[in-house]
Parts: sequence; C-alpha cells; structure tokens
Amino acid sequence: MRSLLSLAMRSAWNRRGTLSLVVASIALATLLLLSLERMRTDMRESFSQAVSGTDLIVGARTGPVQLMLYTVFRIGGATSNISMSSVQALQGHRAVAWVVPVSLGDSHRGFPVLGTTPAYFQHFRYGDRQPLALAQGQPFRGDLDGLFETVLGAEVAQRLGYRLGQRITLSHGAGGTPGLEHGDKPFTVAGILARTGTPVDRTVHVSLQGIQAIHLDWAAGSPMPGLVIPAEQARKFDLEPKEVTAALVGLKNRAAVFAVQRHVAALADEPLIAVLPGVALDELWGVIGVGERALLAMSGLVAVVSLAGLVAVVLAGLSERRRELAVLRAVGAGPRHVMLLLAAEGALVTLAGAVLGCVLTFAFIAAAGPLMQTRFGVTLQLSAPTQSQWILLSAVVLAGMLASLVPALRAYRLSLADGLSPRA
Amino acid sequence: MRNALKLLFCAAIWAPLAPASAQNAAVPSILPGAASTMDQVAVPASAAPASGVFRKITWDDLMPKDWDPLKEFKGLNMSALSDSDPRANAMLKRLREVWDNAPTNAAMEGATVRIPGYLVPLEESKAGMTEFLLVPYFGACIHSPPPPSNQIIHVLPKAPAKGLRSMDTVWISGTLRTVRADTSMGVSSYRMDAVLVVPYSLKER
Repeated sequence: MRSLLSLAMRSAWNRRGTLSLVVASIALATLLLLSLERMRTDMRESFSQAVSGTDLIVGARTGPVQLMLYTVFRIGGATSNISMSSVQALQGHRAVAWVVPVSLGDSHRGFPVLGTTPAYFQHFRYGDRQPLALAQGQPFRGDLDGLFETVLGAEVAQRLGYRLGQRITLSHGAGGTPGLEHGDKPFTVAGILARTGTPVDRTVHVSLQGIQAIHLDWAAGSPMPGLVIPAEQARKFDLEPKEVTAALVGLKNRAAVFAVQRHVAALADEPLIAVLPGVALDELWGVIGVGERALLAMSGLVAVVSLAGLVAVVLAGLSERRRELAVLRAVGAGPRHVMLLLAAEGALVTLAGAVLGCVLTFAFIAAAGPLMQTRFGVTLQLSAPTQSQWILLSAVVLAGMLASLVPALRAYRLSLADGLSPRA
Repeated sequence: MRNALKLLFCAAIWAPLAPASAQNAAVPSILPGAASTMDQVAVPASAAPASGVFRKITWDDLMPKDWDPLKEFKGLNMSALSDSDPRANAMLKRLREVWDNAPTNAAMEGATVRIPGYLVPLEESKAGMTEFLLVPYFGACIHSPPPPSNQIIHVLPKAPAKGLRSMDTVWISGTLRTVRADTSMGVSSYRMDAVLVVPYSLKER
C-alpha cells in the first residue's frame, strides 16, 4: 500500500504540468467556498457585536433594517430627522433609563461624523456589554468649552495618524473626497477610543452643539454668501440642537420594551418608529440569507466543475498511460492495484488542491481583512476553520476521491493485452 | 383605526377568559385552555418539584385569576362608539395602560416551570443568545398590539443559546421570578433564569 502511494505520487509528479492546473482550479474553488463561509460567519458576528445593551433605536418612520443600518453601521441614509422635543419626551417616560441622541450626516475624510452627548460614552455598549474605553485623552466636554472637541475611533486615528491635540476639519456630507469643508471651525482631538472591532472604530465623535455650530452660517445647504461666523463667535449663539437623526434608548426593565415601542409608535406629535436591534438584525439576515445561499450554491458548482476537470484530465491521461499501466500489470500488479493507484492519484491531487486552497484563503483574509475593516467595519478573523468550513473542506476532498474513482474504474477494466498491444 | 378595532376585539376575547378560569376550580369547563389550567392549580407552587423536574404551564397561568382587564370599562357600551369618537381613542389609550401594567400572578414566584413560546432577541454574544423575551403568540409586539405585560417573560439563559432567531419557537425551563411593580422601574413582569432552552417540538420530552 505504502509503495503504491509513493508510486502514485511519483507518477503524478511526472505529469505535474497538467495536474498542477487541476490542483490550481481545485484550490481556487476551495478558496471561494472557504472565504465565502468565513465572510458570512464573520459578518454576522461583527454585526451582532456592534450594538449591545441598547433596547430600542428610535428614528423617523422608515424600515427597521434601514434605521438600524444607518444609526449603528452608518450604512445607507436617514429618511428624515426627529425633533429634539420628541427625544426629551422619551426621556421622561417612566420605563426609560437613558436616551442618547445621535446626529449623522457629516464626514471627515470618508469617516462618518457622529454628533452625540457625553452620555454616549457612558451608556453605549458593544460586544458582550463592553463599555467604550478611551485609549488616550478623555471624552469631549458637554459644555461650551468642549464645543470644538472631538473623540476619534481607533481606526480613524491609526489610519490618518492623528494624535491628541491635533486640529481637524470636518466636511459637509458623507463624501470620501474633500467637498465643502467646515474649514473655519476646526476641531481639536480630545480623546482616542480603544479598538472595538465595530463601526465605532471608524467614527469621529463630536458634541451635538458642535454639529450645530459648524452649520451656523449655512443656509439652504451651502455656506451663506457674505455671512461668516468665526469659531469664537459661535458660542454666543443658541447651539441647542432642534433635531437629531435618531436616539438610542435603554430601559430600566427590558420586559417593558414592547410597551415603550408601542408608546413611541403612537406618539401623536411626530411619526416615529422604535426598533429592537436584535429583531432588525434577524430581519436583515432573512433578506441576506437568500443571496448567501445562492452564492454558496454557485461556489459549490464551481467546485463541481473543477472536480470534473480533474476527472477529464486523469481520463485523458489514461490512454497515454496504457503502456505504463500494462507494464505494471505485467510485473505482477493486479487490476485492483491499478485501480487503487489511480484513485490515490486523484485523491492526492484533490488533497493538494484543498490544502493550497486553505493557504490561499488565509492569505486572502490576511490581505483583505484590513480593507474590510476600514471600508465596512467588518472584522475578518484569521483563525482555525469553523465547523462549517471543515464540513465544506471535507466535502470537497470526499467529492474529489469519489470523482477519481471514475478513471480508476475505467483503468480497472482495461485488460493486460489491450495495454501491451495497442492498435495505434 | 384598524388597530383600534383589533385591540377592542382582542380585549373582548380576553375579557371572559380571566373570570372563567377562576370559576374552573369548581366547575369543569369545556374550554381546553382553562381545563389544563385547572389541572395545574392542584399542585401548589410551594410544593415545587426538585430541580430538574419542571412543571408544564400555559400562558393563562401567568395571569392572576382575579385579574379582569376590562373591569373599569364595564359600564361602557363599546358598540355605541364610532371609530372616530374621541372617547374611543381615550378608552383605547387607557386600555393600553392597563395592559402595560397588568399584574403578575404571585403564585408563580419561584415556581420551576417549563413553557413554550415565541422568542424575541435582546442580546447576542459571540457564543449565542444571552437574553431574550418570550411571548405567547407569533408576531406579538412586532405587529400590533403587543400582549399585556404579564404575558411576557424576560429570559436569561444559563448558557448562551445558539442557532436561534427572532420568532423561533422554544421551550424554556427554569425558575420563574416576578419583578415587582415599582413606579420607578416601569411595569411589573416575569423573569426566568432558564436552565434549558430547546427548540419547540410537539413531542413531550
């Protein structure tokens, strides 16, 4: 058996040119299957880790998924703002423990800017109820002294090389390239948050009043011509925000969540919606799940195609190797041995492809991970294969072994005489 | 106004149910839900079985026997009110308040029970779901109207439950606790540190 295996290996090595192509195609199919599975699980995990301890997200009427995606993941846009008076009314509800208003829309070099209150740093939780921690500095002060202070997410600080005390300017709108700058009112970096692996890392945090101040001399969506309010003067104006994008709500007793949700939906003053983050996430997976299954089916098909390639290559090689196999038979190998030889060859090629695919997957995740983190806030883990990845991997190897039985059976049926006296 | 009608309709169905189960102790009832209630009342909560043995209960058991959600609306002739009547709106609002402050059944404090229901996720860690709410009917709370507060159980599984999504049906087993009604705490409610969370199946385990 051992000698048969080494024979198979040497025989395969002898035809390494064509077989390496097969190995490459199996490796690519494996890469596709494994990285798809890795992205699927890690994306779910990243998303479910992004918000914790928040019972409701309150915003203007829209889809629950859209509201959650925008407020928590900064993906998409808001349909409308909500008035600050509604937020304050919510604060007064007896089941509500805390309300953190958030205001989105501006950006800094492609990173979203979040206007909020200092309570955000106190109440916001991610992962397994972990609070936000500052790696350096402190949160912005909620008063006028801290009007132009900002707290950066870890990714923002690292990527742009910002330090405490540095002055940055925000841009109007959510573009990546500098558009209309709020250049006259720079913000000072007061704190840098520790890494969380969530969209918080990509966020520039400022106070709600700060957002208000940089738009003081704006009208109708652009800087008002002839009107310039210097940063020092801004403090003299009424900077209390009139409206915000959404509010995160925490309750005293989580069982009261439906009552509060209902209360928000029934508010007569303003049409609002309150979303349970977990329910909205499940709704999102329900939608994404269809596409995921289609992608998985396609990658499965790709794997089948590359295995078909393996069968074709080995089968085509058979006619060339008639003589070789006949010589083997002549020196005493039974048809069974010939069959085993070819099956082992196929299995070796598949195994090599699968292993190479694993290596490629690691390389791919190592290379694409940082990009995914900055662009989408999704952390890809460079770790041992998950259970479902193992299942996919063993399915590929098993299918490869079964497929290589096809040429093996054909070789089994070739007679000794046929190989020794070729017609051609 | 469709919702309002639905709410009224639900209330009307609920109304005869609460007093009915109270009478059941003496008179056998033809209501299947009430009949099972009667069986379970025979076992006092104090004589709860040793841990590991969970008494099966129904959602009716979570309502105090003497609770009548429509008590203060007795004199009102609902059929005389039109949908656009401001009194109807005021009454619906009041009804909602009554439901949101529905009392818990004191006999259920400390009872080791198992109960099936629909799951609404609250908190998910990497290991699985660590906190969720259990409600008695599908679509509860996501569509309207939500169930009364004594028909919601806040569940904290001992070990994170994996592979569950919102509105999955599960059996939960554990010790039931009533959370006191307190003006600063919001509504009173049930809480369970569930020992076991398993997907629902019709077969008895």
